Amino acid sequence: MLTVEKLKEWGADTGEAMARCLNNEGFYLMLVGKEMADPNFEKLDTAVRSGDLEAGFEAAHSLKGVLMNLALTPLSRSVVTITELLRNRQVPEGGFDALLEEIARRKKELNGLNQ
Amino acid sequence: MADTDARKRQVLIVEDEFVNREILKAILSPEYEVFCAETGTEALRILREQAGRLSQVLLDLNLPDMNGLEILRTIRSDLDLSRIPVIVLTSDTDSEVESLNSGAGDFIPKPYPRPEIILARVRRSIELNENRDLIRGTERDNLTGLYNREYFFRYAEQYDAYHPGEAEDAVVVDVSHFRMINERFGWVYGDRVLQRIGTALSAEVKDNGGIVCRREADTFQMYCPHRTDYEAMAERIAEAAGGDGKGRVRIRIGVYPEADRGIPMERRFDRAKSAADTIRSSFSENVAKYDKDLLEKEIFAARLMDDFHEAIEKHQFVVYFQPKVAIQEEPARVCGAEALVRWKHPELGMVSPGVFVPLFENNGLVRKLDNYVWREAAAQIRRWKDEFGRAVPVSINVSRVDMQDPELEETLRRLVEDNGLDFGDLHLEVTESAYTQDSEMIIRVVERLREQGFKIEMDDFGSGYSSLNMITQLPIDALKLDMMFIRNAFRENGNTGMLKVTLDISRYLNVPMIAEGVETEEQMLTMKELGCDIVQGYYFAKPMPAEEFSKYLK
Repeated sequence: MLTVEKLKEWGADTGEAMARCLNNEGFYLMLVGKEMADPNFEKLDTAVRSGDLEAGFEAAHSLKGVLMNLALTPLSRSVVTITELLRNRQVPEGGFDALLEEIARRKKELNGLNQ
Repeated sequence: MADTDARKRQVLIVEDEFVNREILKAILSPEYEVFCAETGTEALRILREQAGRLSQVLLDLNLPDMNGLEILRTIRSDLDLSRIPVIVLTSDTDSEVESLNSGAGDFIPKPYPRPEIILARVRRSIELNENRDLIRGTERDNLTGLYNREYFFRYAEQYDAYHPGEAEDAVVVDVSHFRMINERFGWVYGDRVLQRIGTALSAEVKDNGGIVCRREADTFQMYCPHRTDYEAMAERIAEAAGGDGKGRVRIRIGVYPEADRGIPMERRFDRAKSAADTIRSSFSENVAKYDKDLLEKEIFAARLMDDFHEAIEKHQFVVYFQPKVAIQEEPARVCGAEALVRWKHPELGMVSPGVFVPLFENNGLVRKLDNYVWREAAAQIRRWKDEFGRAVPVSINVSRVDMQDPELEETLRRLVEDNGLDFGDLHLEVTESAYTQDSEMIIRVVERLREQGFKIEMDDFGSGYSSLNMITQLPIDALKLDMMFIRNAFRENGNTGMLKVTLDISRYLNVPMIAEGVETEEQMLTMKELGCDIVQGYYFAKPMPAEEFSKYLK
């Protein structure tokens, strides 16, 4: 089961996020649970891999706002990076693969906290 | 819940991301009634439904179906929505500037700051906007949305301050006979006409600069950099005002060009209004300018009005008498006189009644003047009775304003009694136009006066618009033909056909005809031949003071 402690241990800035959620633990955890199922993760991955950087940017940009509001820092850090690259249509050395994998790995970690 | 919500202000959150939306909703819900929209389309729908009640919109810029800036621009350009303040939600610093430029009042960054900060920003935005609404409510005219008169003057002063050295025109825009538009097409239509004029005037200052307001009722004001296209402007506004073409709207513009900044703002517009009033009854002129001549005229008028009371007290108004001559008798005989007022002003000399009577008609002084003339005339009839042993009936003018005086009958009765006259000695001249403008009331009063024994003469007959049918029913004892009939009949190529018609009418009504303005022998002889009973005019005598009239009688 997902808990605030687990999220904090994972690296989320739970203090900041809890304040935003009016210190309502249940509310915060509900939102995080909801975000785990955010279709934008899938969209980002598919769009970037198929070279549609614009669609990729839109998905990344949406994810960025939400992840930062929930202060899911380990995941938002790489989403912020990819958002800025995509905004400028800038392909990093070696392509987006490393970043996409990092995001997938962090997402998996997050999902794992729900066990 | 419903009770508390009813008292809460309404806030609309436009945000497609569930998490972001829910956080804002949780923060704002304790204080506001919160509506949420996930798409731009949904947002616009709620905006339209709740337009009058929404206090705040929180708007995300990245929506699935449209850009948030589009919604922002729609809100700003829609009359019903533009008063609602918008706070933009954004995680990009670039968008902040763009959204502020597009009319957002503030922005909230993502990630969101602490809830207290969000609440404080929303509260402040609503408060600022409500204060602005309050100011707008007091400074704007409800119907047209233009400034009202008071605020307009303040803003015009500011306009001066921001435009030093520039020449400004004070302009008054009037609708001619607006009352008739209301009468013919109803108030609702009249209001629409005023709204259309308001919109047209706003357009006039949009490109060329200046400010406009609704001065009152159907009068507008404009303060703008000096321009010369007022004729065209009058046309443009008239066309816009006519809108759906029910009836032509005539616009009258009074301009005080390059207004003197040394005189108070309100006076500058009074001058423009004076100019507009000079063409009140003209159908050919749309624009009048305030200039030196008008200023002098106004100063002269103001002086006459100031001097009025003293003139009454000091008997500066002198009553002249013009003989009425019965021409069918042999020899022709003076059968009466008309009392006419002159003003012997101690400094200005003789002032013509054509100058001062219209002035006094506008402000009620005319009633006082008429009363004065009646008293003088009645006293004179008494003196002639004593001097000649017979009455010389005198006609006096009774205006429409006098007719409204509830004391009228009593005043006239006392005049007769105090001077020991017969009621038939005083003839009362009532103009034809008075009969047609306020028929029922005038006819009632005239009937009562006739019952008392006064003789009633219809003055200026033929210059008004009474129908023949109506004339036959009016209580009158004589018709007094408007002098234009004589002038027209005897000018070059004129003919006397119309004179014959009017004389036929008098015969049909069985009342004598009195012709005014008979100046030549030819005119007199023709009138005699046509059967006119009585004439008045320079051919026999000019109006003259009482002493001269006495000599004339002898």
